[in-house]
Amino acid sequence: MSVPLIDVSRLLKRFDKTVAVDSISFSVEAGEIFGFLGPNGAGKTTTIKMLTGLLRPTSGRALLGGLDIVRRPEAAKRLFGYVPDEPNLYPKLTAVEFLNFVGDVYGLDVGRKRSRIAELLELFELRANDGELLEAYSHGMKQKVALCAALLHEPRIYFLDEPTVGLDPKSARLLKDILRAVTRAGCAVMMSTHIMEIAQTLCDRVAIINRGSIAAMGTVQELRNLQGDATLEDVFLNVTGGAADAAAADVRLTNFVAGKR
Amino acid sequence: MPRRRGLAIQSILLTADLLRIRALAVRREWSSSTIHVAAVSAGATLFSLIYLGTYLGAHALWQAGAIGLLSTVPPWALLIYLLTDVVIAFGQALGDLYASRDMPLLMTMPVRVPALITSKFVLGVVQNELYAAVFLLPFVLGYLSALNASWIAYPVMIVGIAVFPAILYAALVVVTILALRIVPARLAKESLWLIGAVVPTAFWITMFYRIAHITGDVTVMSLPAPPSWLPSTWLGWALASFGGASPGGVGAGIGWTGLLLFETFAVCPPALWLVSYAFARGWSDSFATGAAKSVDSLNAIAPRRSGLRALVLKDLLTFVRTPQLWFNHIGALMFVVYLLVGHAVQTPVFPLTLQLAMVQIGFVAILGSVTPGMTALSLEHSSIWFLRSAPLNSRDILIAKVLVPFAQTGTIAAIGGALLSAGYGFPIASRVVVVAFGILMAACSVSLGVAFDTRFPSFAWENPNAINRGPRMVIPFLNGLAMLVICCGALFFSRDEWPGAVGLAAGLAISVIFSALMVWQTLVRASRNLEQLEV
Repeated sequence: MSVPLIDVSRLLKRFDKTVAVDSISFSVEAGEIFGFLGPNGAGKTTTIKMLTGLLRPTSGRALLGGLDIVRRPEAAKRLFGYVPDEPNLYPKLTAVEFLNFVGDVYGLDVGRKRSRIAELLELFELRANDGELLEAYSHGMKQKVALCAALLHEPRIYFLDEPTVGLDPKSARLLKDILRAVTRAGCAVMMSTHIMEIAQTLCDRVAIINRGSIAAMGTVQELRNLQGDATLEDVFLNVTGGAADAAAADVRLTNFVAGKR
Repeated sequence: MPRRRGLAIQSILLTADLLRIRALAVRREWSSSTIHVAAVSAGATLFSLIYLGTYLGAHALWQAGAIGLLSTVPPWALLIYLLTDVVIAFGQALGDLYASRDMPLLMTMPVRVPALITSKFVLGVVQNELYAAVFLLPFVLGYLSALNASWIAYPVMIVGIAVFPAILYAALVVVTILALRIVPARLAKESLWLIGAVVPTAFWITMFYRIAHITGDVTVMSLPAPPSWLPSTWLGWALASFGGASPGGVGAGIGWTGLLLFETFAVCPPALWLVSYAFARGWSDSFATGAAKSVDSLNAIAPRRSGLRALVLKDLLTFVRTPQLWFNHIGALMFVVYLLVGHAVQTPVFPLTLQLAMVQIGFVAILGSVTPGMTALSLEHSSIWFLRSAPLNSRDILIAKVLVPFAQTGTIAAIGGALLSAGYGFPIASRVVVVAFGILMAACSVSLGVAFDTRFPSFAWENPNAINRGPRMVIPFLNGLAMLVICCGALFFSRDEWPGAVGLAAGLAISVIFSALMVWQTLVRASRNLEQLEV
């Protein structure tokens, strides 16, 4: 039996009295794209931040390639690439300087660094602007640079927090193709998304998190079967209480429109 | 439909809302009660030191019959404040108006531009009032009480001090808005900060050159008259008149303060209203970006470096490309010029000794470390996610965050120390000692700043100058001063105990031991803070 690349066990995060993530457990195997769905504030980003070392778990354990992110952070961090929900990059560096810096931090030698940076900039059509300071980039261009940074050192694990936000359709399609390619090569991908179409077509397995707990988990087909072959969107709304909320929102909307007349 | 309001009502309501939001933000940023107590204590200490120093100085001059100095020191003190504030407020005006994160939202709201400018102006002035209260108020109170001024002088001068930052900030706002209409935005953003530093520096050097040529007995000595068109001069003359050092007494004091009030309330609002129409266009232009470079940028890819070296290089690039970060060093070097020319009018109270020169350069080093030390980690801004998710250990991050500020301030301390000791005519060995002490104090101050910054980092600033405002600036600065006082005590104690080179070596050795202990302690704490940092 293979060791999962991401192995999360009873992970909990508390901010003062608020429990943001409540003892969740799941694992992601090599070659798998794991979708992490949930409404706003459900705990998706907090979970990913704990797995990437940005937040310390209150309790529980997270192993990446068998390495504990809390006990052996440096070794564990070498295994993954991360794209945050907001592509905040160093504004006073150019794209090439930033990627050069990332390459140095991950210990790439100059030949590999040069070829990977050139390939990635070409792939994301950033070559024409790669000498400009990042402060002049649009949101979508910064997102592409953040993706380049995550892909640069060819990690075994990818954590992507809403990776398609800000990307044009062509780049979003490119990203999907890249993710399929890296998983075919034996990597594991964990991505959060609000876009059901992406989860449905791209993810091998999906977990729906609601109020810090995992409300449902399985392959897309398994989740759809839970509700009698419903769409993933219907399943999502049902397990997150969104269906009842949607009905209430319909009533509020009707009243709001009536009030406008 | 929302109700359409008049310009005045719009301005008042928007100002009140923005002030409330700013107050809430400040309260939430500094939510720890420990830091509240520390900030109030630091402010109170600074206030008391300035008050006491002014009181004692003015009292001593009064007893010595130095009426000339007593009448010319106030305009000079206010001029120094004005020039220092120009450096700070220039960047602030640009940051508040063009680089402010809430501007895109405010510009899309149905608010007229003059109302928006007025609100932002008041917000900027309120921020500067804090500096006036901490630095100017104790000076004025100390001067008036030392000279037994009439009770009417106090309320009038307090009103004058309250109005003073407004007229200064108004001028800077006008220059900023007009500059962005003339100079291309891409250049204006950086060059305005440079102008803000260069103009006061040039003015400062010229003025202190004149001071350096003063001669004569203290009873007849007076400083050269500063430009009479400057509001700082009017307020200084008002203070001197209230104190009885200038002719005219209370009547003249009220007259000069009245002139300042008239100019503020009669000239500033129409000027701001007029230039505010140029703002919208300038704001739009400020988004323009330069053309891409034609050289192959892949040439920038360098041979493999360690994570630590990569981090150091990244921080150095940021420093070189951010002129706002140079101000602190320019300010520190300006102080060296002041010391050099001030030496020409030294009094018997502070005869020039090697130890005094060491303390002077120690102060310059602490002054120069204020920004780099306490912004080391905060400069990561919202890109901090990368540092925390990358395979970098806290030790490497800490070393980089200490090395880069220390390289800057150590260099400034070394240059300043070399200039100062050469200007004083010290022999080579003494110059080395002065430089060494400056570097030692820079190391102390930087490590104190880094320790504070790792404990209370600020990753949500709008421009780099905004990081080190308020308690973030005052607390590490006073900590550095406390360390200087300890080393200063060691230097003067050993000089009195052992004569000559032995005393000097002993004082320096004690200072090194104290400093090393302090640097070690603060870095251990900073390392712990970094380990626990969550983003």
